[in-house]
Amino acid sequence: MAMTEPSYEHGTRGVPYIDGPKIVVMASDSQDPGSATFCIRNEDHTLGNALRYIIMKKCGLSFCGYSVPHPSEYQINLRIQTDGTITAVDALHQGLSDLIDLTAHVKETFTDKIKQGGYELREGADPDAE
Amino acid sequence: MDATAFAQETGPTITLLEVKDSPETRSVSFILSKTDLATANALRRVMIAEVPTMAIDLVEFESNTSVLTDEFLAHRLGLIPLNSEQVGTITYTRECSCQQYCPQCSVELHLNVRCTEDHTREVTTRDLVSSHTSIAPVLNGPNDRGILIAKLRKGQEINLRCIAKKGTAKEHAKWSPCAGVAFEYDPHNRLRHTTYWIEDDVKSEWPVSANGRFEPEVAEDEPFDYNAKPEAFYMTVEGTGALDPKEIVTTGLRILQAKLSLVQLLLKEIAEERGAVARPPMNGFH
Repeated sequence: MAMTEPSYEHGTRGVPYIDGPKIVVMASDSQDPGSATFCIRNEDHTLGNALRYIIMKKCGLSFCGYSVPHPSEYQINLRIQTDGTITAVDALHQGLSDLIDLTAHVKETFTDKIKQGGYELREGADPDAE
Repeated sequence: MDATAFAQETGPTITLLEVKDSPETRSVSFILSKTDLATANALRRVMIAEVPTMAIDLVEFESNTSVLTDEFLAHRLGLIPLNSEQVGTITYTRECSCQQYCPQCSVELHLNVRCTEDHTREVTTRDLVSSHTSIAPVLNGPNDRGILIAKLRKGQEINLRCIAKKGTAKEHAKWSPCAGVAFEYDPHNRLRHTTYWIEDDVKSEWPVSANGRFEPEVAEDEPFDYNAKPEAFYMTVEGTGALDPKEIVTTGLRILQAKLSLVQLLLKEIAEERGAVARPPMNGFH
């Protein structure tokens, strides 16, 4: 007898996975391209807070914040308002680029440092364990 | 600002402190500095919850006459760390082209033990036989007795088949490659992000952590800088044995990058659809 998978509507991702586009621009009353709210699906504080920080570092930003609208909906809303020198989409795009560069940089630095050595290496029995 | 200049000028730095590689502890300690709490925390979160490993997900019982119930054993089996160095060669079952599971997206393990002697037979992870060459229960050398799964008395037996799948700890903590991630900043509480509960004196009642040696002590008459932000983050990543701790850090960063790249790619599509000036739509979701 073959083992059968318990059936989940959206597969076994364990989290309430939301179908549909990964990122959408939310409806807004404003005609201002400098302001927009982006809904990013299947992401949480991991991305939200890091993005908020990196976007806020940019010049020309008047507001950037994010929220998890409901704990059982696996999505975040990211609000960006600029002073008009840059569109909200561009600001988000640059923020993403910067954060990608930052993670790439950390990864590179980490692998370099591991290769270089110079850290304390403990092999064999752990002296703390005794 | 140019992207590479950004990384060079203000980019974070890493100081490796210690790498432990003993049967008791496999960990890597480092200081991540010149960055912000948000990015350091993103790394911490991604290492705990989004680095994929292998873990037993389905268990089929042929027979179980032990004192433990089937679901009890199944839960225990799920929590056993499996060597996941080869996890990259396995696909997620949900992304696999097979109907249920297949060798491309799963690994089969067998446990077949019967106690025939008068003394208690200990069933450990050493009795779990994997069909894969490297994806098998973690063992620390030839003297390791393995993790105890159950104890059998004479006449009792356990015979079962397990299917291990690739997954992340977002779904279930059994897939987490980390036994623990230590995360500390501001060991002297200069920023006053915490308030210590004290009887009389903070210094005598709250010993400073080992990371205190990297930062100057707060002077008695030092004015409080309310604009100060945490800059150095002391992290220790301890693995379960499923992955090398160094691997957990690099894979975590790679996954973070991949997530960001995906959002960026899809954002680009939206921007192109709407022309140079992306304007939010006036009617509902888009």
